[in-house]
Amino acid sequence: MPIKTWELDPNFKNEILNEPGGEHLTACYQCSTCTLGCPITEIVPSYNPRKIIQMSLLGMRNEVLSNPDLWICAICQTCTARCPQDVVVGDVLAAIRRIAEKEEEAGNLKIESPRPLFEKAFLHTVEKYGRLYDIGLALEYYPKREGGKVSGIKAMMNDYKDFGMRMAFKGKMGPLGGHGLLKGVLPSKIKKTDVMKKIFEKVEGK
Amino acid sequence: MSEKKLAFLPGCPSEATALDQEISTKAVFKALGVELVEIEDWNCCGAAEAEDPKLVYALNARNLAIAEKDGLDVVTPCSICYYNLARTNNALKADEKLRAEMAEIDPSLSYNGTITPKHILDVLMNDIGVDELKSKIVKKVEVKVAPYYGCYIGRPLETAFDDPDDPVLMDQLIELIGGENVPFSYMKTKCCGGPLMMTRADIAFEMARKVLETAKNAGADCVALACPLCGMMLDAKQPDVEKALGIKIGMPVVYITQLLGLALGIDPKSLALEKNTIDTKVILGKVV
Ligand code: SF4
Ligand code: SF4
Repeated sequence: MPIKTWELDPNFKNEILNEPGGEHLTACYQCSTCTLGCPITEIVPSYNPRKIIQMSLLGMRNEVLSNPDLWICAICQTCTARCPQDVVVGDVLAAIRRIAEKEEEAGNLKIESPRPLFEKAFLHTVEKYGRLYDIGLALEYYPKREGGKVSGIKAMMNDYKDFGMRMAFKGKMGPLGGHGLLKGVLPSKIKKTDVMKKIFEKVEGK
Repeated sequence: MSEKKLAFLPGCPSEATALDQEISTKAVFKALGVELVEIEDWNCCGAAEAEDPKLVYALNARNLAIAEKDGLDVVTPCSICYYNLARTNNALKADEKLRAEMAEIDPSLSYNGTITPKHILDVLMNDIGVDELKSKIVKKVEVKVAPYYGCYIGRPLETAFDDPDDPVLMDQLIELIGGENVPFSYMKTKCCGGPLMMTRADIAFEMARKVLETAKNAGADCVALACPLCGMMLDAKQPDVEKALGIKIGMPVVYITQLLGLALGIDPKSLALEKNTIDTKVILGKVV
């Protein structure tokens, strides 16, 4: 891809450096160790964390933030462990994802991945109950991902019908549990949900 | 191990999909004479979905603070709970301002950094230790095992308690109970795909396939693991992986606590070995 120098944003690297986790971006010397060990690159050969970092350093803000590859990192931290320059690559990528999410919230960008929706749905259950509630998560995530209730529930059933039956059969979810009749079906709620609310309000500035 | 009491963070999957891990962990620690005190009213660690470090610190400061009140180190059977607890512990210990920031969110987040969070594998092998385990082992579990560590046991380095590329603690435990480790080094620490399950199932399934088929081709009777999310991906989802990719794997996947429990003479039911998705009977036939 040709670099349009007139479109570069020299401040982009500072944006990343200022995000928690992004502090070590500029230590990268482009050795590619991160990419060579990456399990995603093994499966999707075009996936290249080294390149995402190089483009960020160059200031290719739009290309980086709209790159759908940002959202297929498995957060496995192999790159972080192997980087000879202690770039903390996994956290740098997370910092870039957060900038992309802010841009989307501001209406400047459309993220081509359902991952932000998934992460939000996950955290909403934590905020509300203090623990992960799988079914609550799915009921928020699938309709949003599919852009409608009916199609959402259909997609959810498609993914989870067999799985749900298996878990019920094994007594891990549902009526055969013997550890509470509705195990996994109803949320497991902590007492101090007020503290969860405070955490999310203050950290996320909501 | 001098202290025979630890605070216990079960983690969210313990109540549903990882019930087998939960039951076997409790049974094993009971047999080893170590009391687990569940952190009262514990909350989710944020898993991989909380991408803002501040949010991770706040969620985990609460759990750490509750355990600190009792003066107990925390142990968890979940690798990602461990990672989040450990990095929070490191960050808060090193930064007084951050500690104050946490306390400001809510007084119940006041954590002074006086305890240490640990993963069960670390406690079993490094605190309880080989000698003590040896003295309690009454049976041989003569299975061929693919020891799977996944992420967060050996990396990132600041929280790791085993080698990042070739971890050994589970290998040693398997040998201790009479098992045999199949050649598996290349796969030991490859990600199982779990974090992508809900957003890119195609990639996640392929990652899980690699782990499971490598174990199978190496001649393993089962995969052993030490994380409920790996368990979800490799065991509970294994039939979905097979269906999506049109293959047959049929690889039993057990928690290391289930294998250790068998060696300690605990009956299979009390280790929830009937709750694993892929049938584990092949293992039971090899306990002598
Ligand atoms: S391993 Fe580190 S220094 Fe090398 S390219 Fe990746 S981020 Fe840059
Ligand atoms: S954290 Fe992401 S980029 Fe780094 S090795 Fe793992 S999947 Fe690849």
